[in-house]
Amino acid sequence: MTLFSTRGLVKQFGSLRATDNVSIDVAPNEVHALIGPNGAGKSTLVNLISGMLPADGGSIVLDGVDLTGMPPHKRVRAGLSRCFQVTNLFKKATVLSNLMLAVQSHRGSSFLPLGRRDGETALAERAVELAGRVGLGGELDRIAGSLPHGAQRQLDVALALAADPKLLLLDEPMAGMGPDESARMVELIQLLRRDMAILLIEHDMDAVFKLADRISVLVYGKVLASGNAEQIKSHPEVQAVYLGSEVEA
Amino acid sequence: MSMTTTEKNPMAVAGPALVLLGLAVFPAVAPHFGLDYYTGFVMRMLIVMLIATSLNYLMGYGGMVALGHAGFVGVGAYALVAMTEAGITNAWALWGGAMLAAAVAALLIGAVSLRTKGVYFIMITLAFAQMLYYLAVSLRVYGGDDGYNLYSRPVLGFGLDAADDATLYWVVLAVCAACFLFFHRSVGSRFGQALVGIRDNESRMMALGYPVFLLKLQAFVIAAAVAGLGGALMVTQNSFISPSSMHWSQSAVLIVIVVLGGLGHRWGGVIGAAVWVSLEETLRMSTEYWHWPLGALLIAIILFAPEGLGTLFHRSPAGKGEGRGGIFYLLRRSA
Repeated sequence: MTLFSTRGLVKQFGSLRATDNVSIDVAPNEVHALIGPNGAGKSTLVNLISGMLPADGGSIVLDGVDLTGMPPHKRVRAGLSRCFQVTNLFKKATVLSNLMLAVQSHRGSSFLPLGRRDGETALAERAVELAGRVGLGGELDRIAGSLPHGAQRQLDVALALAADPKLLLLDEPMAGMGPDESARMVELIQLLRRDMAILLIEHDMDAVFKLADRISVLVYGKVLASGNAEQIKSHPEVQAVYLGSEVEA
Repeated sequence: MSMTTTEKNPMAVAGPALVLLGLAVFPAVAPHFGLDYYTGFVMRMLIVMLIATSLNYLMGYGGMVALGHAGFVGVGAYALVAMTEAGITNAWALWGGAMLAAAVAALLIGAVSLRTKGVYFIMITLAFAQMLYYLAVSLRVYGGDDGYNLYSRPVLGFGLDAADDATLYWVVLAVCAACFLFFHRSVGSRFGQALVGIRDNESRMMALGYPVFLLKLQAFVIAAAVAGLGGALMVTQNSFISPSSMHWSQSAVLIVIVVLGGLGHRWGGVIGAAVWVSLEETLRMSTEYWHWPLGALLIAIILFAPEGLGTLFHRSPAGKGEGRGGIFYLLRRSA
């Protein structure tokens, strides 16, 4: 059973085929990790899936709904929520304001130019709940930009959770984190997978092997191999292009 | 959050209330000091404040640097002229119609322009405004280049005589105050908060599921409708309109006014317009080369209050919303 699938996704930049016939599946509550060396086309694929770039071919389906050609905000409404590789917050606003804005998007209309948004307790309650879920319950009044890096990433995840996503797209959530912060993020992802499927793009191999049910290796825009941790570790071509170079280093 | 903290500060309520009171009694007091002429002058200033506030809403809170706002002022003004020619004399109907006309123009222009950003958005709004300008120049029925004279001021009804400057002044003051209150409230609303979110981080707003394009379009239409109302009030006061009031340089002046007062500052449009219109008036009386001292003064203000004069009065608490980095920040970020 699959919740999410891409079929034959293609993206061409001039003579460069950045995404070459990529088909991947994610099952419900599965963590599917996508790894690959720099320049393998991971970011392009993330942008195709989230709708920031139009695909030149192929299809994207989530829970029976065809997302191909949908603008990014409609994909979010269809249940595909994303985090960013570079933390992407409202840095000058408090954690609570950040979350309230995220919640507001999914509760009622945002075209109303009257009434005080900050007075809506239902929004605030849901925002507090989300903060608690990612471990930021005690930081509600902190300015987002003043939080430590790891906590900013947790907030980034909380913003994506406001949509109650069916599939969460995490773009290198461990990037730039120390070991403690990484461990906390791994814990958080373990918690989240109970409620949603996760497509994880990540460089941190320890985290990937700990979390992923399935791993796909992307090289030169193509899926080179796909399988569980053992299969990937022992895959000769993967060892050559990816893991091999790490072992040597 | 940011709203409540400033509202609890007694000065934040008392200051504006005193200014409003002063403006309200002005036409009654002015004749005793031989300042009758200034009733018309302050009325003109109020209208510029209204137009500047609408642009501040678009630029300061919406992050959309539009160089064509005077175009919508002109649409409102010429809509009033056209409706007058068609036989409508009720001022409220004329003003409402002017707002509607500007809103429809903004809906069409915004639907195209808002697909671009930064410098491209500046250029395309400029282009559309110039098209409107040349359209007005070519409208022979409404005087073309020479402009158009109204035979008499529209009728206010309710026993109010629009021909009396003081009466019209009070009506204009009430309309401007109501619009200002609307903009002020709107910033704290769901729409206002979403708009500020788009200004601060458009890609994240998209990823949160917001229909960013439509939200920006709504802000564009609201700002243009109020600018159109400003244009209609201008014709009502002067009984005259010419295409020169929708020339692109007028749009540039409006941007300068907003930046001067404080981009994204609650009082930005009001303070900027007060300073600009007063300076223009006094400098013009003392020298023919009044642009010189005006320019020097502007440079001084940009150097000493780069985020606008409004920030000298009160700086809002850190948080989303007001007073962040001024126009250079906006341009650099959206380039």
